[in-house]
Amino acid sequence: MNYSRRAMLRSTSCGFGYLALQALRGQAALAEGSGKVAPGTGTPQTRARAKRVIFLCMSGGPAHLDTFDYKPQTLKKKHPGSVYKFQQRGESGLWISELFPELSRHADQLCMLNGMHADTGIHAQSFLQLHTGERLRERPSLGSWINYGLGSENENLPGFISLNTSKSTIYSSAFLPSIHNGTPIGVNGEDMSNATIRNVSSEHLSLRAKRRQLDFVQMMNRGHLAQRATEDRLESVIESMELGYRMQTAAPELLDISTESEATLERYRVGQFKKQIGTCKPTDFGRQCLLARRFAEAGVRFIELNHGSWDQHKNHRRDLEANCRATDAPIAALLDDLKDRDLLKDTLVVWGGEFGRPGLTPENGKNETGHNARGFTFWLAGGGVKGGHVHGKTNETGARAVEGKIHFRDLHATILDLLGLPPNDLTYYYAGRQHRLTGPEGGKVATEIFA
Amino acid sequence: MSRVALLGSCSLIIATALCPASAYGKKPFRKDIEFFEKKIRPVLVKHCYECHAADAEELGGRLRLDTRQGMRDGGESGPAVVDGNPDTSLIVQALRYDGIEMPPDEPLSESVINDFVSWIRRGAPDPRFAKPAKVERPKAPSTDLWSLQPVENPEVPEVRDRRWPSDPLDQFVLARIESKRLRPTHDAEPRILARRLHVDLTGLPPSIREVDEFERDYRQRGGLAVEDLVDALLARPQFGERWGRHWLDVARYGESNGNDGLGRNPTFPHAWRYRDYVIDALNDDRPYDQFLAEQIAGDLLPSDSPTQRDRYLVATGFLAIGSKPAKAMNNNFAMDVVADQIDVIGQGVMGLSVACARCHDHKFDPISTQDYYALAGNFTSSETMWGVAANEKLTAPPTDLHVLEAAPKVLPPKDFVETVVVLDSNTGKPKAVPKSKWPAGTPLAMGLRDRDMPADCKINIKGDAKKLGNAVPRGFLTACEVESSVAAPIGVDPKQSGRLQLAQWLTSASHPLTARVMVNRVWMHLFGEGLVRTPNDFGVYGEQPTHPQLLDHLASRFVDNGWSLKRLIRTIVLSRTYQLSSRASAELVEADAENLLWARHSLRRLDAESLRDSMLAASGQLDPTPADGSIIRHRDILVNRAGNLHLPSRHRSVYLCYLRDSAPPELAPFDLPSFVTTVAQRDVSTVPGQSLHLYNSPFVIEQARHLAQLATSHAKSDDARVRMLFRRTLCRDPAPAELRGAIAMVNAAAGEFGDKGTEKAWEALAQAMLTTNEFRYVD
Repeated sequence: MNYSRRAMLRSTSCGFGYLALQALRGQAALAEGSGKVAPGTGTPQTRARAKRVIFLCMSGGPAHLDTFDYKPQTLKKKHPGSVYKFQQRGESGLWISELFPELSRHADQLCMLNGMHADTGIHAQSFLQLHTGERLRERPSLGSWINYGLGSENENLPGFISLNTSKSTIYSSAFLPSIHNGTPIGVNGEDMSNATIRNVSSEHLSLRAKRRQLDFVQMMNRGHLAQRATEDRLESVIESMELGYRMQTAAPELLDISTESEATLERYRVGQFKKQIGTCKPTDFGRQCLLARRFAEAGVRFIELNHGSWDQHKNHRRDLEANCRATDAPIAALLDDLKDRDLLKDTLVVWGGEFGRPGLTPENGKNETGHNARGFTFWLAGGGVKGGHVHGKTNETGARAVEGKIHFRDLHATILDLLGLPPNDLTYYYAGRQHRLTGPEGGKVATEIFA
Repeated sequence: MSRVALLGSCSLIIATALCPASAYGKKPFRKDIEFFEKKIRPVLVKHCYECHAADAEELGGRLRLDTRQGMRDGGESGPAVVDGNPDTSLIVQALRYDGIEMPPDEPLSESVINDFVSWIRRGAPDPRFAKPAKVERPKAPSTDLWSLQPVENPEVPEVRDRRWPSDPLDQFVLARIESKRLRPTHDAEPRILARRLHVDLTGLPPSIREVDEFERDYRQRGGLAVEDLVDALLARPQFGERWGRHWLDVARYGESNGNDGLGRNPTFPHAWRYRDYVIDALNDDRPYDQFLAEQIAGDLLPSDSPTQRDRYLVATGFLAIGSKPAKAMNNNFAMDVVADQIDVIGQGVMGLSVACARCHDHKFDPISTQDYYALAGNFTSSETMWGVAANEKLTAPPTDLHVLEAAPKVLPPKDFVETVVVLDSNTGKPKAVPKSKWPAGTPLAMGLRDRDMPADCKINIKGDAKKLGNAVPRGFLTACEVESSVAAPIGVDPKQSGRLQLAQWLTSASHPLTARVMVNRVWMHLFGEGLVRTPNDFGVYGEQPTHPQLLDHLASRFVDNGWSLKRLIRTIVLSRTYQLSSRASAELVEADAENLLWARHSLRRLDAESLRDSMLAASGQLDPTPADGSIIRHRDILVNRAGNLHLPSRHRSVYLCYLRDSAPPELAPFDLPSFVTTVAQRDVSTVPGQSLHLYNSPFVIEQARHLAQLATSHAKSDDARVRMLFRRTLCRDPAPAELRGAIAMVNAAAGEFGDKGTEKAWEALAQAMLTTNEFRYVD
């Protein structure tokens, strides 16, 4: 076999890219089977270990050394490392900081990636790269790629939802078909209690009147279609009108958490932590976690949550503690519920931000940290990864990843692989070439962490 | 290993025999060779030959490191070795991971790198004298890419059914259909044809009166009636708004920069002048060659009046309205601006993605890195003027702007106060808005002008502006051969940027791409798909034309007719092919599911702009006059901090504010592009957000209310009201069943609302009419 790369690219363009091209040409994206990618010729499809992803996005650069990457003083001189107390948790004895008492209950579910590293310590660029693989330009987001690869699992909702989200470039489908665009709910750092989907409802007609109205429209549409029997896409428009109609009920219903018990709301800490403390904004992360569970149950493929900012430069300790407190119990409650409902086995939970922070040296009184992109931590849970497991490590001061190094493109590759998508062959032809999430370099799958 | 060793010893003998010792300085020859054999060759063999030797599966960067000459000739990025000068030798930079990173897996040890440094310092003595096999560079004349062959005016093919064609173009279409033993479908009914023509030429639906009149006229005069209608529509100012909007897609028109990567999005307060320029140019039927020349080099064209001068300066906005990544910590910023300019001309005008060649020779198309930087020199020799970038220097350094002479001075409204201000990150207080260098109201325009000292551009190795290779003389693409009308070939005047000559080269009658690409775009807007179905990609990876000869026939006519777009459009819409019905027998559809034969017309969805405009037309709310300027014309601000700036408007959609990353909400759901790069073709996705927009958006509800009021105030009986709604939205009367269904819906809905029941119920019906597929699709 002596294929040139050019021939390879061409052949893949008839596999993955081919369907993509069809979609680009305006084939109705909702038509049966579209969006689901057939295995490219010669591309072995891996086994899907997860069906959906919940990404707990911690924007600002969480301090890895004070949370999940334990760095005791091991050198002769005092050196930067962890300044909070760590304890071994669970049967696995995973080291977790005292700042996450609730999450610690789930130690045996967590898979620590302590060898993360990124290209840049510039927030916006690294944040964009975390989401899209590209630092400077608008590219399809991870959630869009996944929906492009797997298609939708539910009939009443979009496949990619981004909660408390910041910029549209973070959830954009860019050049992928727009059906894979993330649907934003809520604005970053603002109160989530009234957050909703654009135009999801209106007061001018009751739902019953809307149903009558839609019945008339569909009667007209079916008559229109009958005279154009060969136009399949008109059929998908008719279906999409119904989906939109159902979303008017389904989405607000999912967003309405008043049906949840008091105990549940308390477990998730819904509506608590309403005061901004330094960089820690009142994102109502509890509500986000509860919504994430409801969307996961409803079959949404990719759900992103946002909390921040973890960019505590000045008042490192105060702000970090506030951030941890605001997210600890909600995340633990989410993991509890996913486990109880047997969803954790095929839901991949991802926690992390655009980079980490350099460590403080204990007892020198310093309380200020900067950015550290050369080594930091992500953790995964559920979705076919090992629990109570540590992969990769940083050096003694936590400044730099030295083992089990994982770049964002490797993380992306690993996530795609867990979902059964071939990371470096999931491509889309655009502007003269094949694009992929893992970029020209490609990503390496961290198979070591697979359960 | 043994093979390598053997080869090594052979070349040693040759080297000893052929090389004068002087070539390597005074030191004993043997010692140098020993050094090479011990320290250098093993490293090359082990770490480099896999990709950089004669037997490499794919030669990396067209560079060979397995011969002495290969290292000196270098590859795409330039010579790998410069004798005696390790610091400028690319191989050392690469080993140091300084810009280029080789070997790619991990850097070699410091001591190995030092060996290379001292070896090169000695003059890089190298006994490997075998002649490198010639590495082929992609060169123009050898290419067999169809789109680079000269446009031939092909003979019009014979057809069996000679009565069917009404224009030569129909013969190309029919000949192919006949060869497949098929027949074209029937002609479109006059009412359907009227709507198709109105929407295609003006972007607006006809009134029912216009449809009725055309139908009568058509029954009497047939084709003559169509000609009259077409001529009338081409003369309407709405033509320029519709077709100008098409060009604005190509031009990636936006009224703000879009996210610069650092979350900032400054407005372009003067971009709207370019929008108006485009609309006017289409209405004036500016010849396409002239239209391009103005946009690429308007500042260099002689003008006879201040008005004309203004127009030319505004036209160069084409190259200045691109979306830029931030300047902060971006060494490549200037070349990012150039990349956008090359891209919009590459894909937009020539249908070729030239941009890849910024970092390496194009993998498929015959475009080399040399070509790229030859083109780039025309733009690096020009000053791109985008304005103050909302006074955020980290986003983009502020630039000058064109000051217009004849355009009127427009002051901000007396009570205008800028509400969107940037907060000082230290104090949290609003920063003062810096004073503009021009008096308030000065008419300004984005655009280009030549630098004082034009110069050729150096190759940026792997696209990195810090790694410079040789300068490439300014020029164009070597793969496109163009006959010069003058004796001398078109070449860049060293005293100018070269943009004027670039425009001349692009618009040369013998340029293989310019006319083909534009003809294809026009076809796409009239049929839903182009003859080439990848309108921005005429390269190896793009699609072949369905009818190559037809494309060339139209391209030849286009150029022969003085590049007139109106004449081109007129020719096509008067063809029998265009006037076919979109309905066809199941047999025909099955035989040609993708309509590659054009044996029928196609059903198309109204684009975002046309849908909004049609709703305004139906509700009687459309203000057909052009909007004056833009809502942001006095606002140099960061949009991303401004929330939603958009204001309700009754003007046509083309006049809404096309802020990047903050699209007008009335258009956003229907596949409005991001306009970050040139748009080949609008997507036609079907997503629930569109249904939600139709059900619940304030704009649609508002238009439904106005439409219902028209019906209830002008007609008394239910029947008459329903009829009026049908006539205003669908240009026809309801069928009996539709009438019954509509009245039933109104009555049932009315029962649900108290006092205002009837009014609300008619609004619900009006909204339903605006939502139907019949309203939103064109046959």
